[in-house]
Amino acid sequence: MTPLLKAWSLYVRWTARFPAVRSIVPFIPVVALWAIVAASGLFPPVFLPGPADVVRSFGSLVYKGILPDYLQDSVVRLAVGAAAGMALGIPLGVLVGLNARARNMLWPILLFFQAIGDIAWLPILLIWFGFSLTTMTFVIVYTVLFPVVLNTALGVRSVPVELHRAARSLGASRARVVWEVVLPGALPNIMTGLRNGLGFGWRALIATEIIVGTSGIGFLMFDARRAGSVVEILLGMIVLGLLWYVVDGWILAPIERATGQRWGLVTQ
Amino acid sequence: MKSLTLRNVSKTYFDPYAGAHVTAVSDASLAVGQGEFVSIVGPSGCGKTTILNMIAGFIPVSSGEILLNDQPVKGPGPERGVVFQSFALFPWKTVLENVGFGPKMRGLPKAECDKIAREYLALAGLADAAERYPNELSGGMQQRVGVVRALANNPEVLLMDEPFASVDAQTRMTLQEELTRIWQERRPTIIFITHDVSEAVFLADRVIVLSKGRVLKELAVPLPRPRVWDRLIEDSAFKALSGQVLQLVRSA
Repeated sequence: MTPLLKAWSLYVRWTARFPAVRSIVPFIPVVALWAIVAASGLFPPVFLPGPADVVRSFGSLVYKGILPDYLQDSVVRLAVGAAAGMALGIPLGVLVGLNARARNMLWPILLFFQAIGDIAWLPILLIWFGFSLTTMTFVIVYTVLFPVVLNTALGVRSVPVELHRAARSLGASRARVVWEVVLPGALPNIMTGLRNGLGFGWRALIATEIIVGTSGIGFLMFDARRAGSVVEILLGMIVLGLLWYVVDGWILAPIERATGQRWGLVTQ
Repeated sequence: MKSLTLRNVSKTYFDPYAGAHVTAVSDASLAVGQGEFVSIVGPSGCGKTTILNMIAGFIPVSSGEILLNDQPVKGPGPERGVVFQSFALFPWKTVLENVGFGPKMRGLPKAECDKIAREYLALAGLADAAERYPNELSGGMQQRVGVVRALANNPEVLLMDEPFASVDAQTRMTLQEELTRIWQERRPTIIFITHDVSEAVFLADRVIVLSKGRVLKELAVPLPRPRVWDRLIEDSAFKALSGQVLQLVRSA
C-alpha cells in the first residue's frame, strides 16, 4: 500500500468517526499557506502577522475577557434582531402569500424598501436615534425582515392547492389550515429566508458596530485599526467566519435535516 | 332514500384572455343513493373533475344546486371525504398523523385519534407503516393512506378523483380489489372519477358516462360481488359492459 492510499484510508476512517474533521481538513492548506507567506518575510510582520500571533492574541483577549464580552454583545444583538425580524416577517409573509389583495398592495412597497439596504438607513437613524442600541437593532431587524418575508411568501404560495383542499375536506378551519398546512409547507423556504436574513444581518451588524458601536466584534476590529493592530483585525475576521460556521452547523443545518429533508420536500 | 343530489348543475368560467365564457359542466343532474358506488367516466376535458370539485365544495356552482341529505353544499366539509390523484398527503406528518388528521380536526383527544388511525391503517394492511413519513412509502402505499385518511373521518360520501391513475398497473388492480372490499365492509357512498373504462365498470354499481359537460348515459352494473380481477377479466358480462361503455366514451 502506497503512503498516499494509507493517508486516504486514514482520512476516511477519521471523518467517519469524527464528522467535524471533514470541515477542518480543507483549512489546513489555507492556514499553512498563510504561515509560509507570513514567515517568508515578504511583508513586514506588522502588516501580516502569522497564525501563531493571532492565536496568541486570541489567548490574551480571552484572558482579559474582552473577546467573550464583545462576542456575547454581537451574538445577543443578532439573536434579538433575528427573533424580532422573524416575528414580524413570518406573519407578514403568510399574509402576502395567501391573500392576493395584500400581495398586490404590499409587494411593490416591499421591493422598494428592500432596495434601501440596511446601512443606507444609518445616516437618518443616527439623526433619529443617535449612536444607540435602537439604531443597531433597527438595522438588524430591517435586514432580517425582507429575506424572511419574501421567502415565506414564496413558500406559502408553493404549497400545492390539493393540500389546502385535503385539509379543508377533512374538517380543518381556515385558521387550522394555516397552522397545519401552510406553515409546515413553507418551512423550507422560511429556513432559506432565515439563512439569508441571518447572513445579511450578521454583516449589517458588523458594519453597524464599526460605525455606531461601543462594543462587539465589529467595534473590536475597528478599534484595532485605530491601534494599528493587524493581529486583532485578523482575529476578528476569523471569529466572524467561525461563528457563522457554528450557527450553520449547530442550528440551521440540524433544523433543515429534521424538517424539509426528512419530509422529502428538499433533496438531501 | 337519496343521499346526494345534483339538480341542473352547470359551471361556466370566464376566460379573461379569450374574453368569453367557457362551459365546463352543463345542466348535469344526478342522484346517488346512500351506500351506492358510482363511477363517472369520460374523456379528459369532459368536466368530471369539475363536478367532483363542486360536490366537494372546492369551487362554487354557476347554477343549479347540490344537495346532501336535502342540505345545500356550501364549501368543503368533513361529511364529504376526498381522495386525490396526487394523494395530497401531508409530507410533514407521519402516516399515523395523516390518517388521524380528520379526527384531530373534530377535536378528539390525541389517544383517540391514534386509536382510530391505527384501526383504519390495519384495515388497509398498513399497520407497520404508521410511524413513517409519506415520502418513505411507495405510490401504492401512499394512496392506501389517502383512502383510509378520508375514511377515518367516517364521511357520508367519499369522492375519489382518479385516485389510482398514478400507480402502476398491477398495484392498481390490487387497490381496486381492496377498495371494493373496504366499501363492502363500511358501505360509504362513493363517487369515483376515472377515465379508465374497465376500472369504472369493475368498481361501481352504476357507471355514468360524461361528455362535453353533459351526462351522456347511465348504466347499471349488475355484476356479483366480491369482484376480483382473476374472475372478471374473462367474464362475458363484464366484457360486454366494458365494451358498451368504451363505445360511449369513444363516441363522446
